[in-house]
Amino acid sequence: MATILINPRDEAQRAPRQAAPRLHSLSGKTVGLLDISKPGGNFFLDHLARLLTERYGVAAIVREIKPTFTKPAPDAVIERLLHARCDAVIEALAD
Amino acid sequence: MLQSGESAPSFSLRALHTTERRAVGWPAASATLLVFFETDCPTCQLTFPYLNRLAERLNAQAVNLFAISQDNESVTAAFAEQMQLRMPVLLDEDLSVSRQYDPLAVPSLFLLDRNGQVLRTQTAFDKTELNAIATELCAQAECEPFVLAEAFDGVPAVKPGCTSRHLEPPDDGSANVTTNLHAQPSARASRIELADDTDAIEYCLSAGFDALPVVPPTVERVERMLRATSHSPDEVVALIPPNYGQATVEKIAASAVMAGCEPAMMRVLLPLVRAACDERFNLHGVQATTHFAAPLIIVNGPVRHELGFASHGNVFSNVARANSTLGRAFQLLLTNVGGARPGEIDMSTLGNPGKFSYCIAEREEANPWEPLHIEQGFARAQSAVTLFAAEPLRAVSEHKARRARTVLKTICRTLATVWSYRMCAGFEAVVVLCPEHVDTIQRDGFSKNDVREFLFDNTGIPVRAYEIDEDGEGVQLAAHYERITIDGEPCYRKFRAPEQIKLVVAGGTAGKFSAVLGSWTTGPRGSQMVTYPLD
Repeated sequence: MATILINPRDEAQRAPRQAAPRLHSLSGKTVGLLDISKPGGNFFLDHLARLLTERYGVAAIVREIKPTFTKPAPDAVIERLLHARCDAVIEALAD
Repeated sequence: MLQSGESAPSFSLRALHTTERRAVGWPAASATLLVFFETDCPTCQLTFPYLNRLAERLNAQAVNLFAISQDNESVTAAFAEQMQLRMPVLLDEDLSVSRQYDPLAVPSLFLLDRNGQVLRTQTAFDKTELNAIATELCAQAECEPFVLAEAFDGVPAVKPGCTSRHLEPPDDGSANVTTNLHAQPSARASRIELADDTDAIEYCLSAGFDALPVVPPTVERVERMLRATSHSPDEVVALIPPNYGQATVEKIAASAVMAGCEPAMMRVLLPLVRAACDERFNLHGVQATTHFAAPLIIVNGPVRHELGFASHGNVFSNVARANSTLGRAFQLLLTNVGGARPGEIDMSTLGNPGKFSYCIAEREEANPWEPLHIEQGFARAQSAVTLFAAEPLRAVSEHKARRARTVLKTICRTLATVWSYRMCAGFEAVVVLCPEHVDTIQRDGFSKNDVREFLFDNTGIPVRAYEIDEDGEGVQLAAHYERITIDGEPCYRKFRAPEQIKLVVAGGTAGKFSAVLGSWTTGPRGSQMVTYPLD
């Protein structure tokens, strides 16, 4: 007799996420930098902001910080503060 | 904010998915419950499953229930679908009605009688208040009262809300709450039919159910496990982070089978899964961190004897089927349903042997003080499970000390190494005292509180340790640490409060070995110890 098992794993169907369209150029764009609030993130992002502005002609940098790195970012940070205002967002983790 | 006894203003707002404005006014045929909410408010997300249940239990004749969104139509529509809202949703995008009712925070509930007089208001999430509203509505509708919000269902009793949009919302830093306890029952688990020549144990290994062989979760074995619980197989007990997979009773039973549990263990597993998904425990962070943390289960109360949990020698290892299989079944759920698989979302740098199974029982009979679950607010006769995001064991050997303070001083020196030596304040520790150490400590008349205070006051890192290297971990935070003097030496205090040191008695009666278990980052933004009662 064939053995029948109960599938013990999560079987929820999740809609695949579409990656955001790529930018052809950073020139004149607004770039959001999301610091997940780990120690050292600010040093890294300060440097990144400088590079983006000086080398790639980024027009504006929007800086946001997650309240804590231990939990998902609140929707408010993701939607209202970053997606609504930026052409591209870079999330940075540093330690 | 509109108060009890005042008359509520009538209004009209556009209903979601329509072009019509819906008028809400008085007199009305029944009581009205208005719920102001924001789509990105974690507390609102926590509240709606209860309001859905309320809408289901009371028909439209009993209450006019309206959810009033302070957000735009598209995010409100997504929210209504995600939360499967069972009541009409009105759009207050320009916040005109919010200004009239003036809630301080969301969610805010206004219960109005048939003439529009405010009977009750509730701001933020509060189970007692929700139950009072349900009782009031049942009384008005002359139907049987019921408990809307059960005590230990995986959701805290109270949770602050977010500032109402019309008062400008600052960010509250809370997690996204994705616990939807009252979701519709899930589909049943799929069946996997194995070819005759397939070895079931090998199949489970190759399918990645675990890295060790498991008992194959055959239909017959899972059915046997399910017979031990009155809960329906398709009931969703909790959504397990970080993937928020649905832990149905059937999936829990399948993990229990794989781990080799006796069916009676379902009684522990269901509340345990709820406790793990209680947002205070922050399983999302615990499972996704690169740190050593693994959820440690501590069992208290009569269930220890009823199900054979060991609390004596080898308590942290392979001593009893109950400890080993409960810890393992729990871990199997965290990986197979929660998605915290090593090398994928679980990115722990070195891991923790506790991720095979990490379950102890307290040796309450050798504890002259209060066992852990009493400190956590339960009666001695109440069985309970506690979860703590624990590092691996740090061993403390002390065979020479004849005095309580000498034993405790030795423990302090190990406590000082939790997280890393020069890091202070951001974590907790469980100290597992062995019976011989407890005897020595108690002989000198120390209460449990005395022990905790002594450990708190005598655990510190000498200030000179911060003067050697300037940039090591913990040094940059030293300005925030509390300076104290221990035995004449200027030190920084290791722990922020005595309560950060938890005391448990366990282990064999021979051997003067205790243990210290550090935690992951703690407090409201980290992981907090949670204790849930068992039926």
